[in-house]
Amino acid sequence: MFRAKKLVLALVSLATALPAAAAEGEVVSAKAVELVDFGGGWAITNSMATGWAVSALIISLILIATGRPKLIPSKGQAVFESLIEGLRGLLEPIVGKHAFPAVFPLLITFFVFILIQNWMGLMPGVGTIGYGHDVDGHFHMLRPLIRPFTADFNGTIALALISFGAWLIIIFKYAGPKLILFDLFGNKADKKETPAVLYIVLSIVFILVGCIEVFSICIRPFTLSVRLFGNIFGGENLLHGTSFFFVFYFMELLVGLIQATVFTLLSSVYIGLICNHGDEHEQVDENNHAEAHH
Amino acid sequence: MILAEITGNLASAFGLLGAAIGVGLIGTKAAEAVGRNPGASGKILVQAIIGMALAEGLGVLALFLAK
Repeated sequence: MFRAKKLVLALVSLATALPAAAAEGEVVSAKAVELVDFGGGWAITNSMATGWAVSALIISLILIATGRPKLIPSKGQAVFESLIEGLRGLLEPIVGKHAFPAVFPLLITFFVFILIQNWMGLMPGVGTIGYGHDVDGHFHMLRPLIRPFTADFNGTIALALISFGAWLIIIFKYAGPKLILFDLFGNKADKKETPAVLYIVLSIVFILVGCIEVFSICIRPFTLSVRLFGNIFGGENLLHGTSFFFVFYFMELLVGLIQATVFTLLSSVYIGLICNHGDEHEQVDENNHAEAHH
Repeated sequence: MILAEITGNLASAFGLLGAAIGVGLIGTKAAEAVGRNPGASGKILVQAIIGMALAEGLGVLALFLAK
């Protein structure tokens, strides 16, 4: 009872704090502000500038931390080595041993890049330093100078398109067109064990399922980018809307980590779906041969 | 008596509600499955992520395409 009362109290206090911001609707604009305009639609936006600055920071941080890689790792090198080892343990079973060496640098770059970009959006000053004007005694931010890279839809679209392009290249290199077509439209039923009529019906079903599969592949870049953008942009709005209520910072730290993981995992799952069962087929064949020998 | 006014796009709201329920169900079942068989957590993770991506993809479509 006491707990319920406390919860209600907390909710009420939160609800009274929220409407002031919620009444204005969207607190942070979804559109990035152009810092330098070259004309003709070409411009440097605040999200791009933040993205470049954070990229430079990541590169220099990793270079300084690892330096020249040594056999006995320094402290900085040990941190990054344990990160890479952890990700390898998570991703290798998903992608499969065959394509893993080609995919791993891409995936680890996605993870580190998105994670640091997400967390940099929580730094003090992001979205609060810039030009604006006073509305009824409250300062209203119009042109923030810094804005997180992943809170801009253009940035996440770029990431998703890189993921999709890399996916195309990798599946064509490591699976080949024949395996891809079989994987999408081919009949996976065993021809010896299914009756002929059922086999033909199943072929049609598998082709129809393949069409749905192709559609879901086509919207993948879209869903990947919207998922990341929606979470980070929503978090920005939440923080600004609640006047930077500190509890939400912990939630946003968690969301930033989860979204970076989800983006990396989804990229690897998409590759693994096509490239991974090459090994299994070989294993099954080997098993069959072994049984045949017995 | 009007308690609260509902504004915005109801169609996309319901689409997203469905997607959220779907993702939640997949999450609970995946956690249950890992509890029953911790050794298979890697395989369960992949299946759960694929399922969540499909469910969430429909939610995203509802968010952007619902009129």
